[in-house]
Amino acid sequence: MARAAVLGRLIGRLAWRTATVREVVAESEHAVTLVLDVTDWPGHRAGQHVDVRLTADDGYQAERSYSISSAPEADAIAITVERIEDGEVSPYFTDVIRPGDQFELRGPVGGHFTWSVSDGGPILLVGGGSGFAPLMAMLRHRAAQDSDVEVHALVSARTDADALYRDELAALGPAEGLHVAWTFTRGGPPGWTGYTRRVDAAMIAEVGPAPARAPRCFVCGPTPFVEWVTGLLVDAGHDPQHIHAERFGPTGGRA
Amino acid sequence: MSGEQRQLDGNGVAALLEELLGADATGLVRVCAGCGQRHALGAHRAYRGAGWVLRCPGCADVAVVIGVAEERLTLQTRGTFAIPR
Amino acid sequence: MPPISRGFHRRREPEPDQSRIPPGQYPTWDFPVLSAGPTPHTPTDGWTLRVDGAIDEVRQWTWDELLALPSETFTVDIHCVTKWTKLDTTWTGVSLDTLLGDVETEAEYVVAWCDGDYTTNVPLEDLLGGRAWIVYDYGGEPLEPEHGGPARLLVPHLYFWKSAKWVRALTLTLDDQPGFWESAGYHDYGDPWREQRYWGD
Repeated sequence: MARAAVLGRLIGRLAWRTATVREVVAESEHAVTLVLDVTDWPGHRAGQHVDVRLTADDGYQAERSYSISSAPEADAIAITVERIEDGEVSPYFTDVIRPGDQFELRGPVGGHFTWSVSDGGPILLVGGGSGFAPLMAMLRHRAAQDSDVEVHALVSARTDADALYRDELAALGPAEGLHVAWTFTRGGPPGWTGYTRRVDAAMIAEVGPAPARAPRCFVCGPTPFVEWVTGLLVDAGHDPQHIHAERFGPTGGRA
Repeated sequence: MSGEQRQLDGNGVAALLEELLGADATGLVRVCAGCGQRHALGAHRAYRGAGWVLRCPGCADVAVVIGVAEERLTLQTRGTFAIPR
Repeated sequence: MPPISRGFHRRREPEPDQSRIPPGQYPTWDFPVLSAGPTPHTPTDGWTLRVDGAIDEVRQWTWDELLALPSETFTVDIHCVTKWTKLDTTWTGVSLDTLLGDVETEAEYVVAWCDGDYTTNVPLEDLLGGRAWIVYDYGGEPLEPEHGGPARLLVPHLYFWKSAKWVRALTLTLDDQPGFWESAGYHDYGDPWREQRYWGD
């Protein structure tokens, strides 16, 4: 592509569609999953995200992006929203929105951070906080396909109460080919004997799969978490070409 | 991703790139004019000013500038992109 | 008309005087941080501001010299092309009338050059007549790096991308030279009251 400024037209495939809330599901103390019916939804691959747009009655609009947490096989799409204190949009989703309400949504977008069963394994999924949402879509897709592709998942959360999808993840295993580990960086629940520290090299080595098996790695979460984990994976010998990362960070001053 | 937290890499402007280029562009590899490293657009650092800027994660060289208006988008690209056939 | 999201509204304080809000803008009570790149952290030790280009002679001030110049503390409204407006922002800095007052030039335009390689262009007359400053305090405190510190250009009557953060030089030019955003689809002048956001507006 030459250095140029090109005026583009909005492409129909990425037009804004109407999303209607079918259900609001409490996911943890601070997060909800919204199950949505979207007009003419074209389907998605696990790992993709959507842009959403809210319009207030005075015309004010706010846009945000959320990973799709539902499997492509599901009959509705789901996004998981974590409540950010003083956020403009997340408290609306966690505290106000109810079935029947509508907003705009477009997508799915993001072809680079996707996985489907046909891509094979083994794969490593590492998610921090609400960053696990797109990885959950991958696991739900795997379950829907009754696949036994080898998956190693590492979920990092501050506490048990902050861990998303805890019960569902626990219910998915033990299962053929699926290995899920949690680390609770501010302490686990009573009786917890698992990890209680920040992700480190030893944990990565124990969770596996070994770099020699050339797994594809998907890392998602806040920027410092993703950069830290990606560095650990590269240091451990994983091929950078096999590491897919999706970063998000603080709102940069916009409360 | 959890939307309130501002998306900070090229994956976050995937929809804009796709609008502009007609297909998912997060996998497009740019050979940086600044440092010579190769990185997918999805891995570039994204900054929001008036519009969006994608910068090489190796050296912060500007790769893409996107102007965002209601009725249209503008795209400015710098450097060399490798596009598989 | 897009579907209205029932119950959604922007964060609200007492409604401001609407006549202060340019068309298409919405008032904000926080101070969003927007940038074309990573935040530079420039120490004031060794910091200089230059005025050069089509002028009689180059002028340059060190940080201490800038702070020794006559300054003002003043309150203005600011308007970002991304649609937020922040009313009653208070700044301290040196007027461009002070910095450019004795410059002899035929130039009609100025390019602002900044740490981080950002540039923007402004007609020279828009920097004069009490309409622009180099500011170093915001809200009574030293200007934070993420908001443009140690010093930024402030031109509040134009969209805020013209108030270049981390400014280090003002180059007077005979011809208009589009800066970073102006080369990438944004309006060359940028008057919020005429909603000049993009090329062709």
